[in-house]
Amino acid sequence: MNGTVNLVIGLAMGLNLLALGSSRLPTLIRAMSLQGVVLGVMPLLIEHERLNWQILAVAVATMAGKGVLIPSLLQRAMRAANIDREMEPFIGFVPSLLLGAGGTIGAVALAQELPLLPEHAGSLLVPGAMASMLTGFILLIGRAKAISQVCGYLILENGIYLFGLLLIHSTPLLVESGILLDLTVGVFVIGIIVDRIQRAFDSLDTRKLTTLHE
Amino acid sequence: MNIGLLLSLAGLASLAGVLAGVRWPRLWLALTVGGALTALGAALAVLLGAAAWNWQSEFSVGGEPLHFRLDGLSALFLVLVAVVGGAGAIYAREYWPDAHSPSAARRSRIWWSAFVLSMGLVLTVSNGLHFLMAWEIFALCGYFLITLDGERSGVRAAGWLYLVASHAGTMALFAFFTALASLTGGWDLGPMRDQAGLAPLFWLALFGFGMKAGFFPLHIWLPSAHAKSPSHVSAIMSGVAIKMGLYGIVRFSGWLPVPAAAGWVVIGLGAVSALLGIAFAFAQNDVKRLLAYCSVENMGVIMIGVGVALLASVRGHALWGQLALAGALLHVWNHGAFKSLLFFGSGSILHATGTREMSRLGGLARTMPWTAGLFALGSIAAAGLPPLNGFISEWLIYLGLFDTVTTEANPPWIAIPAVVLLATAGALALAAFAKACSTIFLGAPRTKAASHAHECGNWMRGPMLALAGVCALAGLAPFLFWPAISRAVAAWNPAWTAAEIPAPLMTLGAAQMILAMVVTLAAAWLGRQARANGLQRRPTWDCGYAAPTARIQYTGGSFAGIASSWFGWVLQPERKLRRPRGYFPTEAIRLERVPETVLERVIAPVAERVMWLSNAARRRQHGRLQFYILYLVAGLVALGLLVILGGLR
Repeated sequence: MNGTVNLVIGLAMGLNLLALGSSRLPTLIRAMSLQGVVLGVMPLLIEHERLNWQILAVAVATMAGKGVLIPSLLQRAMRAANIDREMEPFIGFVPSLLLGAGGTIGAVALAQELPLLPEHAGSLLVPGAMASMLTGFILLIGRAKAISQVCGYLILENGIYLFGLLLIHSTPLLVESGILLDLTVGVFVIGIIVDRIQRAFDSLDTRKLTTLHE
Repeated sequence: MNIGLLLSLAGLASLAGVLAGVRWPRLWLALTVGGALTALGAALAVLLGAAAWNWQSEFSVGGEPLHFRLDGLSALFLVLVAVVGGAGAIYAREYWPDAHSPSAARRSRIWWSAFVLSMGLVLTVSNGLHFLMAWEIFALCGYFLITLDGERSGVRAAGWLYLVASHAGTMALFAFFTALASLTGGWDLGPMRDQAGLAPLFWLALFGFGMKAGFFPLHIWLPSAHAKSPSHVSAIMSGVAIKMGLYGIVRFSGWLPVPAAAGWVVIGLGAVSALLGIAFAFAQNDVKRLLAYCSVENMGVIMIGVGVALLASVRGHALWGQLALAGALLHVWNHGAFKSLLFFGSGSILHATGTREMSRLGGLARTMPWTAGLFALGSIAAAGLPPLNGFISEWLIYLGLFDTVTTEANPPWIAIPAVVLLATAGALALAAFAKACSTIFLGAPRTKAASHAHECGNWMRGPMLALAGVCALAGLAPFLFWPAISRAVAAWNPAWTAAEIPAPLMTLGAAQMILAMVVTLAAAWLGRQARANGLQRRPTWDCGYAAPTARIQYTGGSFAGIASSWFGWVLQPERKLRRPRGYFPTEAIRLERVPETVLERVIAPVAERVMWLSNAARRRQHGRLQFYILYLVAGLVALGLLVILGGLR
């Protein structure tokens, strides 16, 4: 079982690197949504002996939300606002990749040091979660466009979700659903705002949104 | 009559004065003076033998039951509040009239009543929380009084400086009272000398109250606030308000145990304030700034007395400490009286000529004889010359210092430099007041404004006469004041109860009386001779100049030049000189300004550096979301590292 879980998490980590290295928005959105689907499968894998309808519902909702709903919203916003498909990085793609790779290695190394429960010690859950959060942060810091910021937040959320799986027995999945719901609403709002910003300023570059800083 | 009843009547009168000040100036004056007289009655009753008044109530404010107390020490300060509060109210009727500016006169009345009331509360409350409340109201009322003339930017700047300095002190007092409450388990105040753990709190109190008392490094707010506020406000600020800081120090060094080093530090601070305060005063050109720095000097003199008393109480109950404390407390009264008189006098000059700059005045003795005479009397008292009151109290402090050295087997050596510095300060004080009086009142008027001066009216002269009377009485008959002072001393340290008047004081009173009589007789004889023979007025020899002007007279600056150059290292005067050039020189300039060294050379650079750092930090707030997230991540990583490293250790 652990092998399968690790394989899936490894896939998610690879998708992180893809998200960091891609220069086009649609690729980023696809990588992000694929990661969401892959992680949506996780509860089923971890709890495959004690499957009940709640876990099933959560898995399905996660996959539907992250894999279908949010990406389609983002793509619609992108089309509606007529956004340039190119990304505008603050941190170049190669440095981002290096940072992401270094961060992933660091996360694995750090996880060895952390005082984890014995059942989590061998799995990639903790390093995967940390690597995803780091990737999310790099995207948030290093990309200029509003849509790529949203993707950064979603990847960050994926990392938090992975951490949440550690506590799947003690934390009700309701909390996780709450975070997911927040994000979905956030994406809705961003979708609308992106459109408005585009109309008002003819640009979606968040660097230009600094006049209201005080 | 019941002391509590008198005090509540006085409080109610002041409270009603706050309301009456809005529209009814006469009613306000009656209420303020009536309230002051009532409070004076209560305070004198306590000082002259009635038992200390103590009143506790079930009624609570802010969760603490009300507790009021009037013992010898607070009564002594309450007398000062009442006398100057009443005198200033009468003085302001002419000095700050409705006709001049109705709104400023109204604000003056309202804040005056509130100020006097809040000082009365500070003196009577006996609960830490309520003390802080009263202290804060007192500080705020002071701010509004200083900025009565707030249209001028200099006045506003002085007000801000006062407010900031005052709150820096209040912050220390918050720490002091909360620490006191947590260590003793209650906010109620009272004698607790037996709890030795409270001793370190003295340093907090010294800083917090010292900020208000204005001794040397903490005096930064004092010169500008006193110089730029209206003169009746300067009088109460300098005569009374800074004494509240002193009250705090004396009160809590009496109630709480003090560290062993307290006496040394207080004597040291006092000696430094006395010397540097008067050095600064001597170099001033603005008469009110001169008086303000002279207050720093006098606070130093009082602090020396208090320090000797602290030393004495640490070393067992020595008689010399008692003498020095009596001198210090008497000087509180004396300084309150003569400094208010001098500020009233400078207000009268300002009223008549519109300037405080001594180099623009001159020859006022002829046009303003009353003001000149009263100002000179105040100056004699302030310079500590016999036969007036300043001499008596400084003499008691000297006596304490001398006895410290002569009667102890192991004398505290700090008394010796303290005596030297005190004597130097006294000499400089004489020089400073000689400079002020001669530049302002003697010679010929230097400007048109000075030549058109006019004498002040009765409303301003009356309070000045009354205060001059107090100065003369305390100088000629000091034994009349001894019972009150010894009661205050006993309130400070219950073991110090010497009821009889010390013999030297009687001798000194007689000597002062004889001296005063000799001076009066000589003056009368001279006057009679002058009247009999007739006075011949001739111009001063003018060195053969063809067209001398009044501007070639000695100025205050030239008078003070040599002596203030001795203190050049601390005064750091800023000079600007353009010499006359060519055969027909048109213009020559010599400007000299003495900065407030501690403020401008120490605090301002530090403040500038802090502002620079804040601005640098503010540049980090530029509105770029990406960087904000970066700060967040960096913070998180730093916290994580802290946890991990801490966990590994």
